[in-house]
Amino acid sequence: MKKILVVEDEEGLRLLYEEELKGEGYEVFTAQNGREAIKQLEKVKPDLVVLDIVMPVMNGMEALGRIVGKDRNIPVIINTSYPGYREDFMSWAADAYVMKSTDLQELKDKVRDLLEKKKVQ
Amino acid sequence: MNKVLAMILAGGRGERLYPLTRDRAKPAVPFGAIYRIIDFTLSNCLHSDIRRIYALTQYKSTSLHHHIQFGWNILSNPLGEFIEAIPAQQRISEDWYQGTADAIYQNIYTLQQERPEQVLMLSGDHIYKMDYRKLIASHLEKGVDLTVAAIRMDRNLSREFGVMEIDESWKIVGFQEKPEVPKTLPGDPKGILASMGVYVFNTEILVRRLIEDTRSDSTHDFGKDIIPAMIEKDRVFAFDFRKGDQGGTGYWRDVGTIDAYFEANMDLVSVTPQLNLYDSQWPILTYQPPYPPAKTVLVEEGRIGTALNSIISNGCIISGGSVRRSILSPRVTVHSHAEVEDSILLEGVDVGRHARIRRTIIDKEVQIPQGMEIGYDLDQDAKCFTVTDSGIVVVPKGIRL
Repeated sequence: MKKILVVEDEEGLRLLYEEELKGEGYEVFTAQNGREAIKQLEKVKPDLVVLDIVMPVMNGMEALGRIVGKDRNIPVIINTSYPGYREDFMSWAADAYVMKSTDLQELKDKVRDLLEKKKVQ
Repeated sequence: MNKVLAMILAGGRGERLYPLTRDRAKPAVPFGAIYRIIDFTLSNCLHSDIRRIYALTQYKSTSLHHHIQFGWNILSNPLGEFIEAIPAQQRISEDWYQGTADAIYQNIYTLQQERPEQVLMLSGDHIYKMDYRKLIASHLEKGVDLTVAAIRMDRNLSREFGVMEIDESWKIVGFQEKPEVPKTLPGDPKGILASMGVYVFNTEILVRRLIEDTRSDSTHDFGKDIIPAMIEKDRVFAFDFRKGDQGGTGYWRDVGTIDAYFEANMDLVSVTPQLNLYDSQWPILTYQPPYPPAKTVLVEEGRIGTALNSIISNGCIISGGSVRRSILSPRVTVHSHAEVEDSILLEGVDVGRHARIRRTIIDKEVQIPQGMEIGYDLDQDAKCFTVTDSGIVVVPKGIRL
């Protein structure tokens, strides 16, 4: 079963993503901020990361740099309410940039596509 | 030029310059009596109206940071100008820089903050005088993604350089890093077109290629990875150094070895040096503490303070000794009956009475005891000092003799 790490500081959203992605047949792990995400990355070795940007302790942009620094092959999806972070150079290191929405279809599609792509490689 | 940000790679270890690089990075190695190697690149930037400059440091950077802080704090911050040394901050990775490309990638936040349109990437290791404005103008006129400054070199030196293959429009169509069998220049089978480590990148393309590089199996080096990848994907042109060479002598040196360092310094005491330090259009700036003027004293029978065919810096006293074909940094003292020939004495060296020094580089603050001879019996010298194959002796900084 493919493992997905969801990094999100809002508890409600975290639970929503966890449930929805489990429903898609993935094993889901969570982290509440960037620093926890780095720890989880090493512990659970996920196949893909869904990453919020605006979080306490360590934000998603800084975490992104560290995540791809530790595992250059891991697909990362930025999942944020703010379109402006596309301007940040570091955001270009992500494999996809998805705007937060109550409809998770786009996120689910990206997750599936990127895991598919990774398998091919 | 305020849309251009210069980034100087100043972390070079300069291993082949050991022991001059034992305590300092290569860009901080003294050169030409009063300069540090990086002064040439920094002076080029200023004279080219480039006034937003970061020097990326890494190993043994204290000396370089001091030099930049004391000597180069000359720009106007309120006008958005700066020369700043940035140590490896380990903000993205906890490791040292993995390669030249990684050094820039690790400073992606700095690029983000400045958001220049172009990045002028330079090395702090080379000695030359170049008007970067001409390079940048060519880059903008052609509307390309990357321009690489290029110089003709003899083909037998190909293993020291990135070698470019160009078409008739100077578009780069091939790039070999330090090849044994290089592509030679059209119509010039003995010549190669070498990269000078001077690049102009469009910032967004640079960032995209750096990110791709960091996410791929790579040595994270500009010459080995980024440039070849960009030749495949982007518009990459070479720029002929002769079009930007200030002074028109074609002078460009990577003083990478003790022998090359010695020769490049000795060029300066020749009657007409290849490297002209007297060009009032292009002065080389440096950090100069307020030392008193150089002085020669004593005119007695057999005891005359003389300096011939030499460079003597402020604060030096030639007191009854003789100096020939040598380069004396500030605060060097040569005492009575001492002889110094074909040598480079760095700051604060004191040569005791009756000492004899020949073909020797003496690093800072060394006291040569009375009567000591260096450079005359190389087997003996090799027991205490570094001696190169060509017989140059290097006395390391701070040694007690």
